[in-house]
Amino acid sequence: MSILIDRRKFLQTSALTAAAAASGTMAAPSILRAQSAGVKIGLLAPVSGALAYSGQQGRLGAQLAVDEINAAGGIKSMNGAKLDPVLGDAQSTPDGGNAEVEKMNSAGVSAIVGGFASGICLATTQTAARYDLPYIVDVGVTDSIVTRGLKNTFRFGPGFGVITKAAIENLITINNNANKPAKTVMIVHEDSAFGAGLAKLLNTALPAGGFEILDTIAHPTPTRDFNNVVLKIKAANPDIVIPANYYNEYVLLARTMQQQKVRPKAAIYSVLGGAASSYKFVKEFNEAAQYIMDCNHWFDPRNAKALELKKKVEAAGQFFTYEVYLNYSCVLLLADAIERAKSADRAAITAALASSTFANHIMPYGPTKFVDGQNTGAAPANTQIIGNDIQVILPEAFASAKPVFPLPPA
Amino acid sequence: MTTLMNRGFLSIVIVVALLACVPFLTASNSVLNFLVTGLLLTLAGQGWNVLGGYGGQYSFGHAAFFGTGAYATAILQVRYGFNAWPAFAIGIAAGAAVGAIIGAMTFRSGLRGSYFALVTLAFAEVLRIVASVAPFTGAGTGTLIKLNVGAQAMQFQSRAAFYWMILALVAIALVVTRLIEQSRFGAWLVAVRENQDAARALGVDVTRVKLGAMTVSAALAAAAGCFYAQYFLFIDSGIAYGTWISVEALLAPIIGGIGTVFGPLLGAMMIKVLGEAAKHLIGDAPGLDLVLYGMVLILIVAFAPRGIAGIVAQVQGWLTPKKGKPHG
Repeated sequence: MSILIDRRKFLQTSALTAAAAASGTMAAPSILRAQSAGVKIGLLAPVSGALAYSGQQGRLGAQLAVDEINAAGGIKSMNGAKLDPVLGDAQSTPDGGNAEVEKMNSAGVSAIVGGFASGICLATTQTAARYDLPYIVDVGVTDSIVTRGLKNTFRFGPGFGVITKAAIENLITINNNANKPAKTVMIVHEDSAFGAGLAKLLNTALPAGGFEILDTIAHPTPTRDFNNVVLKIKAANPDIVIPANYYNEYVLLARTMQQQKVRPKAAIYSVLGGAASSYKFVKEFNEAAQYIMDCNHWFDPRNAKALELKKKVEAAGQFFTYEVYLNYSCVLLLADAIERAKSADRAAITAALASSTFANHIMPYGPTKFVDGQNTGAAPANTQIIGNDIQVILPEAFASAKPVFPLPPA
Repeated sequence: MTTLMNRGFLSIVIVVALLACVPFLTASNSVLNFLVTGLLLTLAGQGWNVLGGYGGQYSFGHAAFFGTGAYATAILQVRYGFNAWPAFAIGIAAGAAVGAIIGAMTFRSGLRGSYFALVTLAFAEVLRIVASVAPFTGAGTGTLIKLNVGAQAMQFQSRAAFYWMILALVAIALVVTRLIEQSRFGAWLVAVRENQDAARALGVDVTRVKLGAMTVSAALAAAAGCFYAQYFLFIDSGIAYGTWISVEALLAPIIGGIGTVFGPLLGAMMIKVLGEAAKHLIGDAPGLDLVLYGMVLILIVAFAPRGIAGIVAQVQGWLTPKKGKPHG
């Protein structure tokens, strides 16, 4: 009986604690309760769930930018008002992201940066639009994010259309320069908005570029076994394998290919490959990563500020992944808009973003110009993992190495 | 009316009326959003409860109905230009039809217990895979309902309107459950749950009863799916047919009290409150809130196998000891 009472007490206590805590959360939804008179900005990232690694990297980049701006005296046109980040975890789901946007709106943020995955961004930007809350998408590459006519939504980086076009043009260039050793392609993609959208575009554009697509394989995120996929690749024996998936799946696919000794003749050529432009991948799975090419977000390797940031991130024991510098850049873009808006007012910031000519950033982009929320100056870069480093191979203006194509004999 | 009240509807009226007052007490959209997601889960959970709680048929695949409702309402609007209101109604009907079809196939084959659970799970997975590749559903890119705020498009500017809408759906689900509970059909259903062979021996048409419960159950889960699509305006195969909703739909009644009218409501709110509380207590340590949440869930299930409703009944039993041992 005493055990029963103890259990009952425990349940009562835990239920009361939970209820009290939850009501506290509901009453004061600002996740980080800010006391200063700074400009509140929402930093939304999927820091838990299937996309946790990317989310944490994104948060790191955004926070570094906030720290840098605040250390340099905050928003000067607002008497040095500091940026006050309100952190949110989208839990890798659209409804998780949506709930955080609601909380951020209640907390009175002036703008939101982040979202990461396309599915999350589609939901969160719409929710933010209800409150005329300016929203800068950090990564989310699906084109429909900026084609819905949402006035509050901006994307600094390139979308699918631009990236795929560049990827295909660059692949053709690389193949032509090497006397066309590659003719057949196989696509392995994750089945949500990002991977499937990309596969669809590749299926249209690659045949037009002279490649034959042998097969297109979809898989969910997360997927924990790629043996069957790799067996299919082995059977089809394509010249090029194009993976389009998030980090964990990308690594697993590459490792499984290595384990089964499946090596395409010409290349593993990724488009927005989750790991192909990741220093973490290069360090942890160096052998599996060798010569993998990617067309992806990349920083300007000639930019001193970019290299300085890279050093800072690496000194903190983290990898300098695209989530880091994209979020970093997006927060700087927002700070620039707030500076020009001279106000924390949402409408003023939206107007300032729409007319932004944000320059002196660390990305290899053309001049910043937003058309329907998309930065038309945004462009990807082609990289290749060579040895212990990631080299830029195209565009030539930024290149730090020549492409190794086709693959050297094993 | 008095008869109705006497028959257990008064409690539903009181609970729904109290919940309906919430938007007058708070203007916070984050609170309303929290409650909307809780009620959404309640609706799906109530669907599961009709079949699993009263009928003893444990489905692991309610995502099949949730997803069908969500996709039907979204696709009808996006591809065929339907108005959101009839699309919503058709979505519920489509979910119910899928329930009836799956039910007919499984029950007529005599599948019970874990076999039934596995088959429902398989149906949901098959639908997820089909939805992830079929161009009709937008394949992996999903289906995006255009933002068009206005009551005619069932897209309300105010979260309170969405809240009342989902509350109305939950109220209907509660009434339907109570009606089932007090009807002859409900008695047959419970008889099937307790001992299917004995029920058949007593003249209950077991297959038909289970099929009826499955259809109602699927319609409620589909209503939740339709609402999800309308609320978030974006669905893909992982959201619509993902295992998350199958699991949450069964967790809510199990935690709240299986085979009780208010069990799914209590359970869904408990799940949501726990999630928020865990997040609040842990603060800024990604993922740790989910660990705490999981641990508390395990403890509740271990120490209160009849759910919160069971605890309430037990406490009532202690307060009135002369009436004998409580039955939960």
